[in-house]
Amino acid sequence: MPFNKHLKNDILDSLGEGVFTVDKSFRINFFNKSAERITGLKREEVIGQFCKHVFNSKVCYSDCPIAIVLKSKKNLYDFESEIHCPTGITKPIKLSAAVLYNGNNEPLGGVISFRDISEFDKIKKRLAKNTQFHNIIGHDKQMQEIYTLIQDIADSDAPVLIHGESGTGKEMIANAIQATSSRKDKPFIKINCSVFPENLLASELFGHVKGAFTDAVKDRIGRFELADGGTIFLDEVAEMPLQMQLQLLRVIQEGTFERVGESITRKVDVRIIAATNRDIEAALESGEFREDLYYRLSVIPIYVPPLRERMCDIAPLTYHFLNKFSLMYKKDITEIDDEAMDIIMNYEWRGNVRELENVIEYSFVRTPNGEKITLNKLPLLIRERVYNKKKQKNNFLFNDPEKEKLIRILEKHHWNKSKAAKELGIGRTTLWRKLKQHNILEK
Amino acid sequence: MNEMLGNQYFMARKYSEALSVYEECVQQDKSNNLIMKKMVICYTQVGKIQKAAELLYKIIQNNLDLILFTDPLKEDCPCDELAFNLETKYDKTLKSFDYLLALGVLWLYCDLNKSIEYFTEALQLKPDNKLINSILVILTKRKKQDSKQFDHHSSWQN
Repeated sequence: MPFNKHLKNDILDSLGEGVFTVDKSFRINFFNKSAERITGLKREEVIGQFCKHVFNSKVCYSDCPIAIVLKSKKNLYDFESEIHCPTGITKPIKLSAAVLYNGNNEPLGGVISFRDISEFDKIKKRLAKNTQFHNIIGHDKQMQEIYTLIQDIADSDAPVLIHGESGTGKEMIANAIQATSSRKDKPFIKINCSVFPENLLASELFGHVKGAFTDAVKDRIGRFELADGGTIFLDEVAEMPLQMQLQLLRVIQEGTFERVGESITRKVDVRIIAATNRDIEAALESGEFREDLYYRLSVIPIYVPPLRERMCDIAPLTYHFLNKFSLMYKKDITEIDDEAMDIIMNYEWRGNVRELENVIEYSFVRTPNGEKITLNKLPLLIRERVYNKKKQKNNFLFNDPEKEKLIRILEKHHWNKSKAAKELGIGRTTLWRKLKQHNILEK
Repeated sequence: MNEMLGNQYFMARKYSEALSVYEECVQQDKSNNLIMKKMVICYTQVGKIQKAAELLYKIIQNNLDLILFTDPLKEDCPCDELAFNLETKYDKTLKSFDYLLALGVLWLYCDLNKSIEYFTEALQLKPDNKLINSILVILTKRKKQDSKQFDHHSSWQN
């Protein structure tokens, strides 16, 4: 079949994205079916018209996408704009633009493809509505108090120490503190103090000069210098080695430090937000965390409660994550049935909000598009734990570590019994027998 | 050469930017009347009225129709609006030479008679101006031709 003009038009008409082309005077000379659907305009109406008269968008006068490509000589992708339809509706769109050149490399026209992102915007707005404070979901009284505190300290540069179990959202609190502070437009640098060995942590925080150690092949600026004038977030600060704690104390007290391998003293102006999931009292008592540093860091202490202490937030968080994953996976799953919700509400959530998010994602991907999340789509381990808890409550003590281990390993290997048996160090037949013995049904 | 970029600037009514791109284009293609036609308008909007008139004269010497038969909609020509703005926003009593010259240039894209009126007024301020004299010769000649044709057409109908 020859690749003629009609075939090209048929191909362009079959696309889900709106596509139109213009000549070098910006008159439309092609308009595909999706462009008709999105704009509500007929091809016959727009061919030969100037694109600015068709789309009535302010960007035609300020940031014409094709003009941007002409100037930069680089194609444009996912440029956000809007169009005004003849129905009076303004639609947000994302577009890509390119310029068409002739054989002499002279521009002879342009092509724009665009898609309607109204639905995406609606979801974003819905998510924003459910968001209580800077993307943090929390209706609980303790969370409300945190929001008030963050607003109260907006004008302060005092150090903040955020306490809370793993997965409670300490980093989000830090983000909110930074975003409401007077330094919100200045650098915001984050570092997890637990992931670096002592010698590397010093280099990460304060930088180094060439030759300071074996791998120091050139000078490198540290996080404190990067954050100068802004804010630094020191996550898991209590994991910092004692020697480093001393150096940190000096930065807080004097604002000075030296790069590794250098004797020049440098000065910075950095607001410090630190976080820890450790029992800080115990760390102070055992001497793992310096008391003087603790008092310096903890001018404004914030305690983020674990999810089990804010039960009223579980349902809104669940729906927030459903909305988020609907957007991510382009699936319409917005509900969860009562049985499944009952399990979610009764689970202990030792991993807090992060664990809840992971469980919702797991259940979400297993649920067919358009359906509700049901009990059998939740991870088996969660169901088993809640059932066991209920049994214990009813004095039917049932605590079988072997069963729990079997389920955990099966979940880990997505119920691949060969892999699970291998990890358990038993044969497949033995595994089958144990599953039967513990009455573990296949998913 | 980036005529297309110039066209976008012109369409977005960024006359100064359009002019700098168009000037580069005509250096490479001195016969591109379509670009020159737009450059005349740009010159009036950046205050270079004399240059606008000179370029207009260059065009109409060979092709007066190119200017006279401008379709404001199909060509996205802003002249009627620009001329109207100039007439309403400025103090007509001052009637400076540049003011009259700019209106003579702009009106030629929309109305021959009005254009002649403004060029004639400008000539009254500077009777020795050769450029305006030359422009008016071309325009009045065309006006006479049009009248003759009209008379001939009317008498033929009668």
